Amino acid sequence: MTYHTLLFILVATAAMTAVMARNLLLSAIMLALVSVGASLILFDFQAPWAAVFELSVCAGLITVLFVSAVSLIRNEEGKVKDLRARFYAMPLVIAIVAVATWFYGIPFFDSLKNCALSGGRNNSLGSILWDIRRFDLLGQVSILAAGVFVINSIFPRRKKQK
Amino acid sequence: MTTSLLAYLLIPLFTAILIPFAARKRQKLADILATVTLLAGLINIGAILFNPANIANSFAGVPEDGFALLMIFVIYLVALCVTFFSAYFIGEDSKVNRVPYYSLIMTSVAAMCGIVIAGDFFTLYIFVEVLAVTSFAMITSDDSAKGLEGAIKYFLLTFPASLLILFGIAFLMLTAGTFSFENIKIIIASGMPVGPVVFAVSLILLGFLIKSGVVPFHTWTPDAYEGAYAPVSAYLAGIVTKISGVYAVIKISIMFRLFEIRAYHTADILMFLGMLSIAVGALAALRQKEFKRMLAFSSISQIGYIILAAGMGTPLAILGAIFHLVNHATFKTVLFLNSASLEKGAGTSDMRKLGGMEHSMPWTSWTSIVALLSTAGVPPLSGFWSKLIIIIALWDGGAKTYAVLALLFSVVTLAYFLIMQKNIFFGKPTEASRNAREVRPAMLAPVVVMCLLIVALGVFFPYIYAYLVETIAARIIL
Repeated sequence: MTYHTLLFILVATAAMTAVMARNLLLSAIMLALVSVGASLILFDFQAPWAAVFELSVCAGLITVLFVSAVSLIRNEEGKVKDLRARFYAMPLVIAIVAVATWFYGIPFFDSLKNCALSGGRNNSLGSILWDIRRFDLLGQVSILAAGVFVINSIFPRRKKQK
Repeated sequence: MTTSLLAYLLIPLFTAILIPFAARKRQKLADILATVTLLAGLINIGAILFNPANIANSFAGVPEDGFALLMIFVIYLVALCVTFFSAYFIGEDSKVNRVPYYSLIMTSVAAMCGIVIAGDFFTLYIFVEVLAVTSFAMITSDDSAKGLEGAIKYFLLTFPASLLILFGIAFLMLTAGTFSFENIKIIIASGMPVGPVVFAVSLILLGFLIKSGVVPFHTWTPDAYEGAYAPVSAYLAGIVTKISGVYAVIKISIMFRLFEIRAYHTADILMFLGMLSIAVGALAALRQKEFKRMLAFSSISQIGYIILAAGMGTPLAILGAIFHLVNHATFKTVLFLNSASLEKGAGTSDMRKLGGMEHSMPWTSWTSIVALLSTAGVPPLSGFWSKLIIIIALWDGGAKTYAVLALLFSVVTLAYFLIMQKNIFFGKPTEASRNAREVRPAMLAPVVVMCLLIVALGVFFPYIYAYLVETIAARIIL
């Protein structure tokens, strides 16, 4: 249970940072962290397929897209007036939600624990990744490489033009 | 997934990563690395396909999927022609940065190999996305306004397709509990209620049809091909859209055969869309004034033949579809590379400004004639045989109206290509063509090699047919 709680706290903190960060790149990375945490939780609830998908698509692919988009608008970032005041209420909202979770969330997750045991298939994350979806990992390596080359191909030209 | 073919994916990927480090100081090294890798791969796969010993014992010693082997051969061939051509096409003053350009080509070769050796829909999807990302960047290689427009259209219109494929995959997981091709075949064969599985596969099919640029989902193709950097349009039209869309459609149609009567309506729709593409593509091509745009519509029309045959779904039709896919890759690469040569030699590919180019660019003119005759299906060139197989399969399968229409539109194909040939290469020389000069021999080499291949595939058709029957029809379809 401690493992779960820690993961939840990690996901919540990362999500909050993603919303509140001034730096868009940090937001994108934090969002990836949320996905990684979520996939670990999914895995622990014996949903290895969902976990692997979350890890591949959200943590891998979408982060590449976000990072490339962020690098595109880098130069404009400072010029736009920041309207972030309303986000300062975030920590307060989180605190209220945290207290509510203390009362309702923990019993709920305790009840889920039984579901997890009944639905489990005894697959470890490692065996799913390496035995069944090994080829997809290669695909993800390719997509990361492709993302890097796309950035490498498009952005230097922009700089030259400026 | 076929492990023995994995090297064809890993080596280009490795080269793609190596290029930025190795060619940082000397950009020319990027050309050499890419060309050498592709040539080595091509020789390797050629040694399997054209080995007399293998041919003699009916490819019994080659356990791999014949379809995948053939596709890998075509991928390497087209990619090699394009990289070799680009090495001389990219001038010193060009905006194109060689290092990322070749890295992207090598990554896309790896992705295409991943697609053809994938054993399930999810892996297929991942590699299709890799291909989409790299194509998007390659279209904008020269940073022209048209290139950007084409790339954005490509991205916006193929993105919903990916979404449909993903939905289909999720639905397949819910209904069938698996997305491996083999398991799906077993599920269908076991006679369980297949309605939901047909629905899921149809969703995936729809996604791939959009990616193939079949009418009515063709709007992105002309803009993307016309706007793309010239050698990239040859690469896109020659192989990329074929592998990212049409390949999967054929793969699914092989599966549809197993549904027997329960998926017949889906197959009917597929045939109708194929016929519609043939007609719309050919009629639109008749009216184009821009060479590349005309070729794009011609591509749509030729893809129509493949889709039509895939919808028919008999073993002969599938063989015709696969052979036409190979042929289309050869002749469309020639024509698009020739349009790039025209841009280089005469400064434009607008048919209104060109005329009498056969005097200044004889090699380009003659290779165009070979490619266009093959596209139109004139014997004994390769295109004739594939169209013949498709039309015979349609006639045998009872789709006689489609067979007759396919034959008639073949004549329209010949018509628009002859109009193109007359406008660009024959007739009186114009201002632009008087100043034009033939491109250097190194740029003609890939085109001439492809033309020889078109002739060889036609003349040695009995061997090709034997390969198709022994490795594809006997192992996969039946």
